[in-house]
Amino acid sequence: MKRLVTAVIIILVLVALAAIGCTNKDLVGPSPEAEPEVVSTCVTCHTDKDTLKELATTEEVAKSEATTGEG
Amino acid sequence: MPPLEVWEKVFVKDAEFLQSTHGKVGCVICHGGDSQEEDKELAHVGLVIDPSDGDCNTCHKDVAQTHDASLHGTLSGFVSAFEARGGNVAEGSPLGTVLENHCQECHTTCGQCHVSRPDELEGGLVSGHKFRETPSMQYNCIACHGARVGAEYLGQNEGIPADVHWTQETMLCTACHSQELHGSGDLIESRYHNPDMVKCEDCHQEVWTDTEGNPQHEQHLSDLSCQVCHSVAYKNCYSCHVAIDEEGMPCRTSEPSVMQFEIGYNPLRSSERPFKYVVLRHVPTCAGTCDYYGDVLFPNFNAVSTWKYATPHNIQLSTPQNESCDACHGNIELFLTEEDIRPDEKAANKDVVVDELPEPVGN
Repeated sequence: MKRLVTAVIIILVLVALAAIGCTNKDLVGPSPEAEPEVVSTCVTCHTDKDTLKELATTEEVAKSEATTGEG
Repeated sequence: MPPLEVWEKVFVKDAEFLQSTHGKVGCVICHGGDSQEEDKELAHVGLVIDPSDGDCNTCHKDVAQTHDASLHGTLSGFVSAFEARGGNVAEGSPLGTVLENHCQECHTTCGQCHVSRPDELEGGLVSGHKFRETPSMQYNCIACHGARVGAEYLGQNEGIPADVHWTQETMLCTACHSQELHGSGDLIESRYHNPDMVKCEDCHQEVWTDTEGNPQHEQHLSDLSCQVCHSVAYKNCYSCHVAIDEEGMPCRTSEPSVMQFEIGYNPLRSSERPFKYVVLRHVPTCAGTCDYYGDVLFPNFNAVSTWKYATPHNIQLSTPQNESCDACHGNIELFLTEEDIRPDEKAANKDVVVDELPEPVGN
């Protein structure tokens, strides 16, 4: 009887583990068919000094030339 | 301080940032735009350059909320000064427009201290895109507070030494000014009303608890602010006028600043600041500061002095006035007297002008 109970418990644990494995995506390894990682164009440009220099446009600075003295 | 080149302002030079907590959030979550679009103009549609007014609140709720009520966040110091002089600052009123046109440039967001240079320096990332828990003294604090406090602290006023906290300990602004910068969560009238404001005795407690062998401290701790004996000449500004120029841009003019040291009566006397004498700084304002926007905008201008409670940042152990008792006692040069006040400001300063000098004591 004791052996039967132990066997039932082991089977239940194995079933539970299998169920978790099927539902928890964190435990699933990367699929060989997974889509390639999408690269952010923000990062591509803003980490590339040459691109930024090439694309930079002159800023209009909104400051009055009539201002004098210290702030 | 010259502004950064346009490209430099947005260059994320430190790739490590992308692996940091803030970097992993992704650009679009905070800045909007389209991270899949390759055309610059299209990628920047809906771009939010400084997202910190709203987005910091998501994770940093406590500090973001206290900041919203702080002097940096609300500029309530301007509002309280206007209202104390009888000014109406309601939206759409002449002074409401002054606040919008001229004072808002001093508003500080979370990002303008912790990520980028402030608008005053025309922006740009300070350390790549790194979020600095401690702002840069040079590119953040002094960028806005450079004309008076910054120059004093670093010894940039000709003939005036730098503060000992800088020359001897290289202390950054945040060594003393920390929690107070985010405010307590309550609207306050000025920095001197901030319950978290730093005090000299926070570090120099022994000065208050052990005066033995120091007759000056024995005699004066409760009636002189520390700066009366330990600061030197500091910058005073006069006659600021704001207007809109011919191009429609907000502008301001003021007279050249003057290095002066003036001891006067304490305009903020309280249990926290019981001193009879403090040093006073002339602030740029005058009765006609906002005249461009209307007549008599400060009907009660004389209700507030133009010489204000001051804490100059050029502290020295030894100063000309603490060389001996009579270096100060009876020395009219050190005290703000009737003759030092401009004719149209005499009424405003009647309570801070020293009418009776301390008598010389003969040593």
